[in-house]
Parts: sequence; C-alpha cells; structure tokens
Amino acid sequence: MEAGGEEFAIGVVISAKTTLGEEFEGQIVAFDRPSNLLVIHILPKSLMLLNRISISQEGVGRAERGERRNVRVLKANYIREFSVVSKGDDPLDPSSCMLDLNAIYAREDAALRQAEIEAERIGVGVTPEAQSIFDALSKTLPVQWDKTDIVVMKEVRVRSPYLPENVSGGTAAANERVKKVIDFERKRLHSRVPGQFS
Amino acid sequence: MMGMMSHQQQIAPPSRGSVNGFPHRKLDREGSGRHESKINLVRSSSGGFTNSENGIKLGHGSHSRDRLIYVLTQLIGHHVDVHVKNGSIISGIFHATNSDKDFGVVLKMAQVIKDGSARGQRYADDVVKKPETMVIPARELVQVFAKDVALGGDELPKGPGHDKRKDLLIDSAISRSHYLEERELERWAPDEGDSECIELEKYDRKGNRSWDQFETNAALFGVKSTFNEEIYTTKLERGPHMRELEKHASRIAREIEGEDTKDIHLAEERGLFLGDDLDHDEEIKYSAVRRDTDNSKYKPPFAKIPSSTCHVDSFNRTVNIDPKDSLASSSTMDEESSSHIFDDTDASATIQTNSVSQPTSDYLSDRPLSNDENRLDRKLSRESNENMDNRKLQPENNLSDGARPLISEGLDGRPSSSHAYEPSSSGQGFKSRETPDLKVSVKHPSVTEPVTSSQRPGSSTSSTSERIAANSAASAPGLSPSSSIGSLTSEKSTLNPNAKEFKLNPNAKSFSPSASLRPPHPTSSDASYYYPNNMQAARPGLPVGMGFPPAYGAQPVMYNTQPGASPQGYMNPAGPQYGQQMMMGGQTRPVYYYAPEMQQYRGRNF
Repeated sequence: MEAGGEEFAIGVVISAKTTLGEEFEGQIVAFDRPSNLLVIHILPKSLMLLNRISISQEGVGRAERGERRNVRVLKANYIREFSVVSKGDDPLDPSSCMLDLNAIYAREDAALRQAEIEAERIGVGVTPEAQSIFDALSKTLPVQWDKTDIVVMKEVRVRSPYLPENVSGGTAAANERVKKVIDFERKRLHSRVPGQFS
Repeated sequence: MMGMMSHQQQIAPPSRGSVNGFPHRKLDREGSGRHESKINLVRSSSGGFTNSENGIKLGHGSHSRDRLIYVLTQLIGHHVDVHVKNGSIISGIFHATNSDKDFGVVLKMAQVIKDGSARGQRYADDVVKKPETMVIPARELVQVFAKDVALGGDELPKGPGHDKRKDLLIDSAISRSHYLEERELERWAPDEGDSECIELEKYDRKGNRSWDQFETNAALFGVKSTFNEEIYTTKLERGPHMRELEKHASRIAREIEGEDTKDIHLAEERGLFLGDDLDHDEEIKYSAVRRDTDNSKYKPPFAKIPSSTCHVDSFNRTVNIDPKDSLASSSTMDEESSSHIFDDTDASATIQTNSVSQPTSDYLSDRPLSNDENRLDRKLSRESNENMDNRKLQPENNLSDGARPLISEGLDGRPSSSHAYEPSSSGQGFKSRETPDLKVSVKHPSVTEPVTSSQRPGSSTSSTSERIAANSAASAPGLSPSSSIGSLTSEKSTLNPNAKEFKLNPNAKSFSPSASLRPPHPTSSDASYYYPNNMQAARPGLPVGMGFPPAYGAQPVMYNTQPGASPQGYMNPAGPQYGQQMMMGGQTRPVYYYAPEMQQYRGRNF
C-alpha cells in the first residue's frame, strides 16, 4: 500500500496506524522515497501539545542538542492509515547535524559490553525456572553459569534440577548457605506462582 | 563492496567492520562492508559535505537519503527493537545498516523478544537463548524502533562524560545532558518476580513489623545475633509497677511536648507557631548557628545565669519512673522541657511552661538532712527573698494536687528526700530555685514519696540523700549568685513547686557512692566551691554534678548502663558528693555546685 508521498513532508506531525496494529504520533524527520522509509520521531508530550496550539512556533519540535526522542524508522508501505495533525518545522537542523563517529562507536562498545555482561547471566538451554533461581541467587551471591550448572562464589555447584540436594562443593559454611538460599528461593517461587513452571 | 575499505581511517578499527556474525540470513556476508559503505556514501554523494575531524556534516540541501542515513548512524549503539514482517520483534544493539541497498539492518546481541511466527505465538522462551548477531534483510523489515535517541547530536561530544557511555556515568555528565526533560512519573510497581519485596511492609496493626531480621538471618544463614538492647539503653524493669511507670512517663512526655517554647526548632517540632519574625528564611531556621542567647560570652561563675538546665532533677530521673513527687518534674525549664525530666512527674503534668520557680529551696529547707538543715534553711530563705521578682510563680495548686496522689501512693516514712533535691547547682540550673518560691513554696506539701519506695528501698534512701545533698549544695551558693539569679528575669525555675516538703528521715541510710562515680566537673576552682575529694572515683556513664556544661547537661538523666553498677535507678550526680559531706559530720561550708558555664539547656533530657 503506497501512502501518499506528498504528505510526507519533513516536519509534519502525523498520527498513524500500521498494519501490524501499532499506533503512534510523531513528527516526520526524513522520508526516503527509494527505500520507502519514513523516519519519525516521537515528540515529547509537552511539545506535542505546543504543536497543536501554535503551529509555527520556532524551534518547536526541533531536536536540540542532547535532547532525546524516541525514533521510529518505518517502512511506509506498512502504514495502514494516517492523518496529518499539524505542520511543523524541520526537526533537524541541517547545519548542525554532526555525526561524531568516535562517540558513536564508543557508545556501541559500551552497549555491547553491557549486553555481554547481562548475557552472562542468562543460561543457555536452561529452563526458565532455572533462570529464575539463578536470578534470585544472584541478588545476594556472585553466581555464574557453567553450562547448565550454577556456580556460586566459584566454589559451590548446583546442578539440575536445582534442589537443595543438588548443591555440592565449597566449604561447609558456603554449602550450607547456598542450600538454604536455594531452599528459600524455591519456596518463594513456588508459593508465588504455583504451577507456572513445569 | 567497491573498495570501500580504503576509507577506513575515518572509521572505527577494521575489526568493527567485520560482522562475523552467524550467518542467519543471506545478507550476512555483506555485513562487513556495511557501515563503511554507509559512511562513504554519505561522503561521496553530496558535494557539500564538510568533514570535521570526527564528524561528518550534512550539507545544505540534504537529500532525504542523507537524512535517513544521518538518523540511522545516530542509532548505532542504541538498543533497538526491530519489527519484522511476520510480527516478531527482535531486540538488540543497532550495529549497521546497508545504505547501499535497501537498508537491511544488523543487530548485535540480539534476541527475538516476540515471536510472531507460526511456531510460537507467544514469547519465545521455551529455552532461554543467548543473544547473537542478527541480520534483518530489508524485505523483512517493518520498523526499527529506538528509544531516547539524541537526534540533534549529543552535547559536547568530546566531553569527559559521554552519556552514551552508560557504564561510566559521572555526575557532571548526568546533570549536563539533561535538557528539560519532564517525565511522566509512574508509581513503582514490583517486577513480576519480586513480590518478596513486599516483606518490607509487613506491619501488623500496631505498626510493629512482623518480620524479625534476626530470626530470619539465623534461619537462613545460621548467624546468631549477639545484640542485647540493654547494653545501649536503660534496663526497663518490668514489674508490677510497670504500668504506673509508663503512665508517668507518658504524662511527662506529653507535658514536655506540649510545652511552650521560644526555641524555634522545638516549636516547629511541636507544632507551635512562634510568629514569623526576622525573615526567618530556611537558613536561619535550619542551619545557622543560634545566636539568641549569649552563651558565647564568658561569664564569671557567679554571674552566670542559672539556667534551668541544671537539671539535677534530670539526674534523678531514671527510666524507671518512680511515682515520685513532682519535685523533679515540676521544675520546668525555661523553654525546654528538659527540666521536666523528673520521674516523679505526676504533679508536673499540670505544670505549664514558664514554669515556676521551683522551690527547690523549699525542699532544701523543708527537708534538711542532718546537720545541714538549719543552714540550708537560712540560706534558702535569704535567697528566696531576693529573687522574688524574677520568678514566675506557678500555680502551686496544681502541683499540690498533683503531688497528692503521689503521696498517697503509699510511701511515707521515707523522706521524700529523693525528690526534692534538684541538685541545683547553685546559680545555674536552679535559676530560680532559690527564689521567691520559697515564700510560696513553704506551704508546699513536701512530697514525701519515697522515690523508689516499693521497688528499691535501699536505693531510694540513697537517692534521697543524694538529692538532698544536691539540693543543699544548690542552695548554698545561692547567696553569692543571688544577684545573678536576680538578673535573670526570663529564666524559669527548675524547682518543683509541687515538691513536697522535705522531712528528715532519721532512719535514712546515708548514701555511699559506689566507686564508679565520675568526679564532678573539675572547673570549679572557685573558693566557694567545694568538692569532696572522695568523689573522685568516677562512675562511668553517670555525669556528676549539676549545671555542668551542656555536654553533661545534655544527658541529665543518668542511665544505669552498667548492669552491676549503682543500685539506684536515678542518681543525683550531685547527690553523692553531698552525701559524702553529710557523712563527714557536717561541715561548716555549704557545698556549692557550680557549673562554670551554664548554658541554657536547650535539648531534651531523655
């Protein structure tokens, strides 16, 4: 479905529905005809109100330095219907749009690092129940995954199915403690959502 | 890839270019060249580009494609959600896009969040999967959704704290980058799996937590707690008289809290409106040093204003409140309730602020111990006469009334010794002790409640003597400082007008302080002051002496923090000393207690 191209002028605020059932409202930042990609940024609520009230306010909708918006890059052919809410100015200031590649890459690095750390916390091929036990344990103890075993404080190992009996290794005190925590967590998990986990 | 690699110096290290992701889809091989291609495209396509060191500017008259590319580049490193044709949503870190062609997207550390395929019409988490690099071809792409993108470029890209670097957020970066963001605040709700947080709110009806941290810890981890509350506070004796004591205590507390006060802090706490004068801005109210008293000026001993602080009474106070007579309680304090500490406050319940000159002297006069009796009497009367004008007399009636019930409590025989002596340090503390109350107070029924009476026979006696001692001591200096006392027009008496008259109990045991008594404040070097030498044995934890500098004054109530220490519940710090004197068979000299720098006591005596 080809949406009307003329309406997709930069700066126009539209309200649209997609074929996937999403609805949103935002200002057009860019539209690329060849690829049919529409870039919209979702205005912060306050500015949206302003937009309605005073259409031609200078700077309304313009993304200032550092200001954060939600951005959607949408293939226009998935727009089921849309309507123009108002017309605004170009949200991007062409003279000041700078791409700081270093910063961008740095950001990506940081994000990747962060994601990796979080990924460590997720066991591969473990049941969600196991994952919740792991998460619960990790609140107070340092835990890692070792395939499908949970390793606590690098010493104590908990095997599937993660019952207190499956705890082995480590000093007696550590072992006891892990057992207790597992026991407690299990009880809590089960009492909270009986039958949620297989 | 048409020789795109040559421009690599502008781009991140080559390693970045290789999306050695797992070939999920066909286009993967192109991944490595993608962002180079993108950058190059930008550079080559529009002639108006200026290249700054680190950035690429979009020239004027930018094509829509350039804008698109700009936006997409800005997205690199952001967490994005990619919606695809079959309804699935893949979430990951935006890594690259194929700007040459149709903008397929490469995501790193991506996961399928929502699986729209036929296989699983629900959240795909049969098995938790590790995130991986995913390539989404353009034809599948529906939408890329990114949150919190700074389209205008980030501020101060070269600043020390890129807020992009989430793992190293420093304060200046955090505060700097915020450009007027008002967020909609949502009430916090616990996550799915966090219902245990609610434990923190388990309170029963009374507001007591039903969760015992010590039990829990012991159960969970086998950790035994060695906490003993009594180490830190006075042991409560729960005996038959507990309720009475509690009642007394609450009465005293209510009194204290209901008092009028000139102190703005206390007034605020109590909800009293003092009148907004002096442009009391927040600084004055809450943080500036208080200057409304002239505590800072040095005053010679005798000229010192006997502040009500001298709460000898407070010394007498113990947590175990004895239904003593109001003696202690009544003396109020200037502004602070401090003076109220007296245990035996029953009577004081009626006492209002601006209390009255306490007829400490009364007590003294009324209940002279042994030899000192006469002497005290004389002194007191003298003093009282002199200070008439300064004292605001309290409705003695109240006191009396109050006192009565006390009396009835069944202690008799024992001289109320315990009460009376508000060991006023001569001038200090007892400001008005010596005062005119004497006149009035003479009629006061001496409160004869034996202090601890039923509970601690022995102790009461001793306390009695302590008190007496204190009081006598207090009265003594009355003479000299009387002038200073007289000068106190606004000071309130700490004497308890309701206190019962002291009647000497010939059977009373003399007080012998235990070895642990702390020696009195050594500053009294004045000739008129006498400190019994044998009082040097300090009783740890019991500040001895009245009218001591605020450090002491601040804890006028002496807690018997040592299990084995002095038997008496309340110690009159001055008492023992005096007691010593007493035992020495009467000296010719009165014992003066004097606090070198009696500051107005502003705190509460607990």
